[in-house]
Amino acid sequence: MKLSKEKLNDALVLTVEGRLDTTQSDAFEKDIIQILDEGEQKIILDCSGLNYISSSGLRIFLIIQKKMMGIGGQFSICSLQPAIMEVFDMSGFSMIFSIHPDLETALKQ
Amino acid sequence: MIKTNRLSFRIIIRVLIITTSLFVVILLGYNYYTSKIIREATKENAIELAGNLAGRIEQILQPMEKIPEMVASTMELGLIHPDSLDIILQNILLRNPTIYGAAIAFEPDYFPEKGRYHMLYAYRENDKVHSVILGGDNYNYFYMDWYQIPAIMQKTYWTEPYFDEGGGNTLMATYSVPFFCTRDGEKRFAGIATVDLELHWLTDMVNAIRIFDTGYAFMLSRNGMAVTHPDRTMIMNKSIFSNAEEWGAPIMREIGRELIRGESQFRQYTLPGRPKLWAYYRNLESNQWSIMVVFPDREMYASLRAMNTMLIFFILVGLILLSLILSGVINRLSKPLVQVADSARSIAAGNFNVKLPQITTRDEMQELRDAFAHMQRELSTYLINLKEATAAKEKIESELRIARDIQMAMIPHTFPPFPDLPQIDLFAMLKSAKEVGGDLYDFFIMDKDKFCFAVGDVSGKGVPASLFMAMTRTLLRTIADREKSPALIMESLNRSLAFNNESNMFVTFFMGIIDLRTGILHFSNAGHNPPVLLSASGEIKAFDISKSIPLGLFEDFVYTESSLQLKPGDQIFAYTDGVTEAENKSDELFEEERMFSILEQQRQSSPRDMIRLMSIAIEDHVGDHPQSDDITMLTVAYNG
Repeated sequence: MKLSKEKLNDALVLTVEGRLDTTQSDAFEKDIIQILDEGEQKIILDCSGLNYISSSGLRIFLIIQKKMMGIGGQFSICSLQPAIMEVFDMSGFSMIFSIHPDLETALKQ
Repeated sequence: MIKTNRLSFRIIIRVLIITTSLFVVILLGYNYYTSKIIREATKENAIELAGNLAGRIEQILQPMEKIPEMVASTMELGLIHPDSLDIILQNILLRNPTIYGAAIAFEPDYFPEKGRYHMLYAYRENDKVHSVILGGDNYNYFYMDWYQIPAIMQKTYWTEPYFDEGGGNTLMATYSVPFFCTRDGEKRFAGIATVDLELHWLTDMVNAIRIFDTGYAFMLSRNGMAVTHPDRTMIMNKSIFSNAEEWGAPIMREIGRELIRGESQFRQYTLPGRPKLWAYYRNLESNQWSIMVVFPDREMYASLRAMNTMLIFFILVGLILLSLILSGVINRLSKPLVQVADSARSIAAGNFNVKLPQITTRDEMQELRDAFAHMQRELSTYLINLKEATAAKEKIESELRIARDIQMAMIPHTFPPFPDLPQIDLFAMLKSAKEVGGDLYDFFIMDKDKFCFAVGDVSGKGVPASLFMAMTRTLLRTIADREKSPALIMESLNRSLAFNNESNMFVTFFMGIIDLRTGILHFSNAGHNPPVLLSASGEIKAFDISKSIPLGLFEDFVYTESSLQLKPGDQIFAYTDGVTEAENKSDELFEEERMFSILEQQRQSSPRDMIRLMSIAIEDHVGDHPQSDDITMLTVAYNG
């Protein structure tokens, strides 16, 4: 798992790459909480490089979503790989998150 | 102890090798230069000895030579009356005790009145001097060496030594001087004046010379004949050339030729089958005889050898002492090593309080000891920490085992669970990746004829997941007492779980309720993998389920439910993603396709066999790779 961030216009784009399984999710959670504490209003999570996600990983996505809803901010996910999209669909998470096919579309929101 | 002995042994061997090589080099050098010096000194000594001897002999010979020379010159002056010659000769003998005999011999018919031969000879016999007139057909002196050679050469001549048999019975040599007279105005050879020299004194003089133990000197005549020799049988009997032949030693012949040429030499030579010899030889000036000094090489270097033997003895004693001292020093120096090694063994055996040797030498040994002491302290601390950590870990593990027992006790695992309900056959299995896990299944009878079953998967694994699972399972039973439709139960469950869910844990959940009288199944799903329906007709497919989110996220979420009519022989296979996502060491997943193909093969099997075989297939796939997620399977067979 590799997490990087970049400021594009008014949005903070986080890019996550690799696998987000149970063993990696603790480190991922720490990084995310640190970023959330900075109080960004618009966060886009670019998942083009994410090729596996466990339920622990999904939980962290939920943490971001709830936190952003709490401060009236905006959180969206983009570029999900088909297998990951399937996980989102099956677990009903695609109903919870704002999901975009690519970063451009996500930035326009 | 053995190790330190070997250490000192190795050091001593190295030191001995070095010192011995050094000594060998020094000894060889010493030996080389000393031999050279000894050889030079011996050469000087031999030259001097031979020179002295030659001088002493010349001192005797030279005055003697004067006598016939004077007789000859007197004869040439014609001052002596021929008849008084015998008196003169007798006088010569009386005044010169070293002279054995003296003669004057004239040319043939020199005095016509005295006949063809005329020779006067005076000699000693029994301490008296006699004189005779010699010459005649029985004593034709004209052809004798002492006469003929100086007469032809017209110069003085020393004869070869000869044994005068019948006369003095002694070894002698004759010195001849020719004299001339003037007749008819012409200088003519007139005769020979001689003296005879007895040679025994020469033998004594030469034999008196000793060099080292067995070294000796001898004299050879002009022709290489032995004039003197310590072995008297050689005298006048053997020549250097005859010996060369006899002994098979060409070197002797070479020496003989050099002697005749009058050369002098200091040289080493070897006779066949004899030890190495050294020789010095030189000529006598007056008669060309030669003096040769011979001594064995062995004796020349005897003193050097004695010195070497002594040196080697002292060196050996020194080396032995050095070894003993070194051994003592090394053992004393390395004693702390042995003690530290003993301490190390003691520590290895678990005795951390073993006392280390006290070392105050402020050297490497003390450094070693200090480092060792440091290691001892660190090891001791480390082991205490390890013990504590192990105890703590064991405690946690034991607690986890208990937690696991409690968790497993929460889910039913008596199969078949309802022997008196023929409509239902059922089997379930839960295998946690860690001691405790977040998967759950449950089933129970509601209101006598309703069978409720559920499968869930809490996000994450381990203790947090297990707590959330326990909460879910407890709430499910509580709520099922009150609510009777799956959607209502799910909503109620969700509300309770989402309330104050700070950690954002969630659980995907599927539950179904079968009306045992009608076979109608009501079910609801909260983001869980859709179970598989294995129809009695042979059709196998996943439940078609409307999307909804896992439990525990949003309190007010509305869950929907669906229903379908089960036919006798239908089976429902519910599972968690631990099945499809079981990983092997190449990170390959078990995959849904694989699961479906096994279900296809096993669709006629009992729920127990179906799950057992699925479990075996998963284990085969995973191999020895650690289990990545909790695995739960539940199969319900509806028999109608």
